[in-house]
Amino acid sequence: MYSKNKTKDLRQIWRAQSRVFFIFLFLIAAAVNAQEKKLVSGTVYDNSGMVLTGASILEVGTQNWSSTDDDGKFILEVSIGNSIVISYIGSVTQTLVISAATNSEIDVRLVDDVNMLNVVEIVSIGYGTMKKSDLTGAISSVSANNLVKGVISSTQQVLQGKVAGLTVVRDSGDPSAGASVRLRGGTSLTASNNPLVVVDGIAGVDINIVQPSDIETIDVLKDASATAIYGSRGANGVIIITTKSGTKGVSVVYNGLSSIGKASNHLDMLSANQWRGYVRDGNLLDAIDYGGNTNWQKELEQTSLSQTHTLSISSGKNDSGFRSSLSYLDNQGIIKNSGLKRLSANLNAYQFVLDKAVKFDMGLFANIDKWSPMDYRIFERAFNLNPTIPVYDTNGDFTSVGGTLYENPVEILTNRTVDNQRHRLLGYFKTEVKFLKNFKAVANASLEHNATKGSTYKPSFAVLEGRTEDGYAQKTYGEYTSSQIETYLNYDKILGKNKINGMVGYSYLENIYEGFGAQRSGFVTDLFSYNNLGAGYNYRLGDVYSYKGKSNLASFYARANYSYDSRYMVTATIRKDGSSRFGENNKWGVFPSASVAWRISNEDFMSSSADWLSNLKIRVGYGVTGNQDGIGEYKSLSILGVGGDSYYDPATDSWSLAYSPKQNPNPDLKWESTEQINIGLDFSLFKNINGSIEWYSKYTKDLLYTYEVPQPPYFVGTMLANVGELSNQGLELTLNSTIIKRDKFSWDANLTMAHNTQKIEKLSNPAYDTDVIFSGSLHGLSGMSNQYSQIIAEGYPVGTFWGYESSGLDDNGAFILGSEKKALGNVQPDLTLGVGMNFTYGDFDLGITGYGMFGQEVLNATNMMLYDPNRLTSYNVPDAFLNSNISSAPTFSSYWIEDGSFFRIQTVSFGYSLPMKLKETKLRVFFLGENLAVFTKYTGVDPEINLTGLDNPGMDRFNNYPRPTTFSVGLNLTLSN
Amino acid sequence: MKLKITAAIITSLLFNISCTDLNEELYDKVKDENFGSTAKEIDALVGGAYSSLRGFGDPISNSYPTCEYVFFLNEVSSDEATIPTRGTDWYDGGQYQDAQKHNLNADNRMVLSAWRYCYTGIAKINSIIYQIDKSGLTEADKAPIYAELKGLRAYYYYLLLDMFGNVPIVTNFEDQGLPSNSTRQEVYNFVENELKDALPHLSSNVTYSKLTKNVAYSLLARLYLNSEAYVGTARWQDCINMCQQISGYSLSTDFFANFATENQTSSEIIFSIPYDSKAGTVGNYLSSMSLHYLQRYAISATGNYPWSGNGICAQPGVFSSFLDTDKRKNSMLAGDQINLATGAVIVMDSGLPLTYTEEIGNFANAKQNEGVRLHKYEVKEGETWERDHDWVLIRYAEILMMQAECYVRLGSSGTAMPFVEQVTARAGTSVPADLDLAFIDQELLREFLFEGRRRTDNIRFGTYFQPWWEKGSTENYKAIFPIPNSVLTTNQNLVQNPGY
Repeated sequence: MYSKNKTKDLRQIWRAQSRVFFIFLFLIAAAVNAQEKKLVSGTVYDNSGMVLTGASILEVGTQNWSSTDDDGKFILEVSIGNSIVISYIGSVTQTLVISAATNSEIDVRLVDDVNMLNVVEIVSIGYGTMKKSDLTGAISSVSANNLVKGVISSTQQVLQGKVAGLTVVRDSGDPSAGASVRLRGGTSLTASNNPLVVVDGIAGVDINIVQPSDIETIDVLKDASATAIYGSRGANGVIIITTKSGTKGVSVVYNGLSSIGKASNHLDMLSANQWRGYVRDGNLLDAIDYGGNTNWQKELEQTSLSQTHTLSISSGKNDSGFRSSLSYLDNQGIIKNSGLKRLSANLNAYQFVLDKAVKFDMGLFANIDKWSPMDYRIFERAFNLNPTIPVYDTNGDFTSVGGTLYENPVEILTNRTVDNQRHRLLGYFKTEVKFLKNFKAVANASLEHNATKGSTYKPSFAVLEGRTEDGYAQKTYGEYTSSQIETYLNYDKILGKNKINGMVGYSYLENIYEGFGAQRSGFVTDLFSYNNLGAGYNYRLGDVYSYKGKSNLASFYARANYSYDSRYMVTATIRKDGSSRFGENNKWGVFPSASVAWRISNEDFMSSSADWLSNLKIRVGYGVTGNQDGIGEYKSLSILGVGGDSYYDPATDSWSLAYSPKQNPNPDLKWESTEQINIGLDFSLFKNINGSIEWYSKYTKDLLYTYEVPQPPYFVGTMLANVGELSNQGLELTLNSTIIKRDKFSWDANLTMAHNTQKIEKLSNPAYDTDVIFSGSLHGLSGMSNQYSQIIAEGYPVGTFWGYESSGLDDNGAFILGSEKKALGNVQPDLTLGVGMNFTYGDFDLGITGYGMFGQEVLNATNMMLYDPNRLTSYNVPDAFLNSNISSAPTFSSYWIEDGSFFRIQTVSFGYSLPMKLKETKLRVFFLGENLAVFTKYTGVDPEINLTGLDNPGMDRFNNYPRPTTFSVGLNLTLSN
Repeated sequence: MKLKITAAIITSLLFNISCTDLNEELYDKVKDENFGSTAKEIDALVGGAYSSLRGFGDPISNSYPTCEYVFFLNEVSSDEATIPTRGTDWYDGGQYQDAQKHNLNADNRMVLSAWRYCYTGIAKINSIIYQIDKSGLTEADKAPIYAELKGLRAYYYYLLLDMFGNVPIVTNFEDQGLPSNSTRQEVYNFVENELKDALPHLSSNVTYSKLTKNVAYSLLARLYLNSEAYVGTARWQDCINMCQQISGYSLSTDFFANFATENQTSSEIIFSIPYDSKAGTVGNYLSSMSLHYLQRYAISATGNYPWSGNGICAQPGVFSSFLDTDKRKNSMLAGDQINLATGAVIVMDSGLPLTYTEEIGNFANAKQNEGVRLHKYEVKEGETWERDHDWVLIRYAEILMMQAECYVRLGSSGTAMPFVEQVTARAGTSVPADLDLAFIDQELLREFLFEGRRRTDNIRFGTYFQPWWEKGSTENYKAIFPIPNSVLTTNQNLVQNPGY
């Protein structure tokens, strides 16, 4: 039998080791006292009865130790009368006295150490796992019980404020909106700055394929030495999600949450009576009073009612297990007709065969989203409309007055039908084979399929497009399919105090996207909605389209770890990525990394401080990673496309489509590459504080940007090219602490803090010369076509406001502006902060989480446009405008740039676990409040504003869907045996 | 045994898969080398040269399509039109105010847009020539295609000659070297030679919207008419000679038939940019750029008319310079605008009536109703954002007026008279006995109002440099625009036009 063989092998190893030991021990024994020895072997289990690999067994007072193998087994020869200490991080250490009577085959069950909340012992590092204590790179881990809870419709939200250096911004309260995630400042101007998401080993998947309730742990790989194993996709960090799987025994869990929400804040605009007062006081005879009393912001809103239900079943034996879950969420938006409904299912199972030599593992995730995207133009309209205009006229029809930008927003919100659906599917099958004692081969095949379907109808009576198009219907469908195959070989060897691990692997990814769409206008009746496109009599050449494309990524990678005595650790990785997107001259990129760590606390000279400094480790790593997201398919080629380019043929009096070149080909196109140095310090103080400090410095080269190129000679005036360079430097602090731990009362706290500074180092090279790129577009605001509020220029961070400094208003109410444009601050926060606290008292628990961003500037373009003396009396203004004395038309200057610092009370939960007669049953009821308060000096609706992209980072431009404040009641029920 | 099985599985998993195929497979696009061999494919390539005339949605100058800004730039810097700032509306960094005041700088987005419009068209034509060069066509078959393409390219270079003067000449698609300026004289010679070289191979037929012999002669006539302004050599007789080569066109009886929705049937249009709502072509929506937001209720009782932006309008003085009997006065919209649903004057949001006035009180903060509006192209209920009227570039009236002007300049007003009379007769006006250049100048304004060519006339007549409404005297160097700064920074071989 394999396991017996293995045990025998271990014995042989042990014997080899113990020979050395025996000589050593013999010398000591001779000098002290001869003691009788006993061979002790056993198995170590965790709380749930699963075997623990890597638990350490130490004979007290000696250097004699061992650790458990993959089957949780250990063997150690111990002097009778001595004690052995069995320890495993995250578990309560157990001590056993070995007497002559002790059974030589012992089972040890370690209990989870509740003092060490938030500590996840085994960390996913990509193509493998590692003990946290052995890590050399910067990796933050968050376990399931520490993820953000609440009304969550975008999985990124569970990490908000939880990982130092990971900024999650959700700039909208729209349930169907996603969140943007950024690690350690952005490394790219135009490409995505979203970290790579890995789910159960499958890289590059949509994070929303996984529902929060299915997550076991999330490991965030932060520095290049950790992420370089993901090569050309690793520059923005890697989020590795490990989902729950069947644990020993059977358990059925139900979680439910019901919530109500209301808009947390409004902009204080003139009410109809305030407007009338203003007209009366000013004796403004031309002003039109439409007779109504309308608060246009409130007219768009509703009290939202949301619910989430999750049911899971899991079962596990020694050699097999499964878990399945089903969840349904219905998150209503606080704006009418908005929301998100999602039904999702997850199934995973594993089975060992051939005496655990082979493990099969499969997972299946599927979900369906349904939502109705709204027209975000309603928010600007709601601020514009005169409050005396009633929503409905005397006939009960929507009131329609005013010109462009002044359409009735309730009409826009009501009179159109948009129904979207998204289907996500991820399936994988993994085979792990152990052979030749130290080898493990893994083969992994996966398929991800994501499809979005859209249906729109704007009836012939709807303002804006509906009326001018005489009814407009559209159907769209788009999908992508990623097929991936990965094989890697792992080698593990423990030789005394030497631990060696090696891994080599290969993967191949094929991503195919395709879609089609059709639209028509001119409908005799509105009865068909979007269901009968053929009924539209008016159609155009571009009304039907389809597309398809493909990209491939081939990779080879390898990693080697070596650790000595858990004191000195070295890791090196390398990855070679080839992508079809890269230009002909740069098809393959190589991404190396190396890192070392020294666990100082394990040194003898530290033993005196062990009582207050139980862990101290310093890590240093360097690596090169890439970002290939900014290169779309076929961007390096000289291609002809068709569409939108029709020409008239007088001979036949008909129109045909022209074929024209679409872009300047760039055969040199390649990934953006980021070099990063990271120095980290892990420590444990007074046994109840765990923490890490990280310092990093990143330098990104070959920044992709669509540069302006001289025309002539270039075909078009822009070209995607690798030119610029930028740097990020930062400091991060993570602290987890059990402040008080008594019988009935406990108090835990955690804190994450991060600081990042960014600088554009270069924008030009000999081929592309750019002094400045304008960003932060004001285009689309009245009178601000082609105007920009920000620059990207050497020496400044991305999102630097650039304009005239204002020193206030002169006596006439005109802005006093400086004579030269200058930098006016930037949109990037100096400090991001996340805090969490948990209290328990008996059966009661209380949790509070909050996050904040400090030092970032926000352009309050909403106020800039609303504080316009030309608006009254036709349109509405904020109350505060009347006392502002402003007499000049809207002008961009520092006058409208505000400090956007804020701290948000994200969640407060209060729970009670009912005392149950049956030990196997747990029932907890809880109340949860979300977004309860925001502390800020910002004068707009909400200071948490999108920071990504170049178009509108840090700009409050009307289009903000207000965030809700929600109150929920929830239930957790667990039945297990 | 089991170890052997295991080993076999491992081996097969790890080593049987070794795919590293990174070729880009195309599905909905085609590599340039795989296209252009059949007659249909060549038609589809050449068609692109014509569609380029509409311009393109430009993310850099934020114009869509670019020909819209080219129009604004030329109109606002002339004496017939202006774009006043109304509150915040149409301020846009002062770019229209600068054009009005002849204070354009090299960062002006309209100037950049004009540059990019021309050079994108030229690059497209160069690429088509390159594609056709590689096709299997015989030299004899290629000749007429090249003539058509080079004629179109000469049209773009003519625009560059007119607006920028000293521009680089690029004709080879594969040449990626950074070009230097050519002198205005060199560009002038290039345009002349290209058109002359093309002539023998061009079609003699009257073919709507295509670059035919007639179009080439018209462009040469324009070139010679402005020869003195461009390069200092007057060529009035050459202009007349070219005009006399043109045949197959006549004035349409109804002046406005040239600007009707279905204007392609006009007997007068020599060259145009075709538009068709069903073909999804966007661009000829000048009414939407000019009319007040609420004008739609004067067009349709239900307001069934696309968005209007309340922008470009006539300069004060233009409207009143027209005789009331002049039918062409209807090229402008003035006075009370009646709501078709109520029969009353439309009330603006401010409570004031929508009455277009000729006067504009404050150019930097005009009232919403100030300025007489463009109303030349037909406006009708139910139009979509994509309009059907073709954009008229050259019509037969211009050929008549060019000849008239040249004869007057050559001292034979008598010979000029019948040419002008054809034009005025249709308009319902008359020609004074002492036909002089001043009359020609004003007649050009009246006949070609808002057709995008007034700036060139102003320069040729020298009025461009005199003060007019909201503009002082203009220095001579401003007869051409500055080369856009963003072009100069990316191509150090280029030199800015003198004076800027």
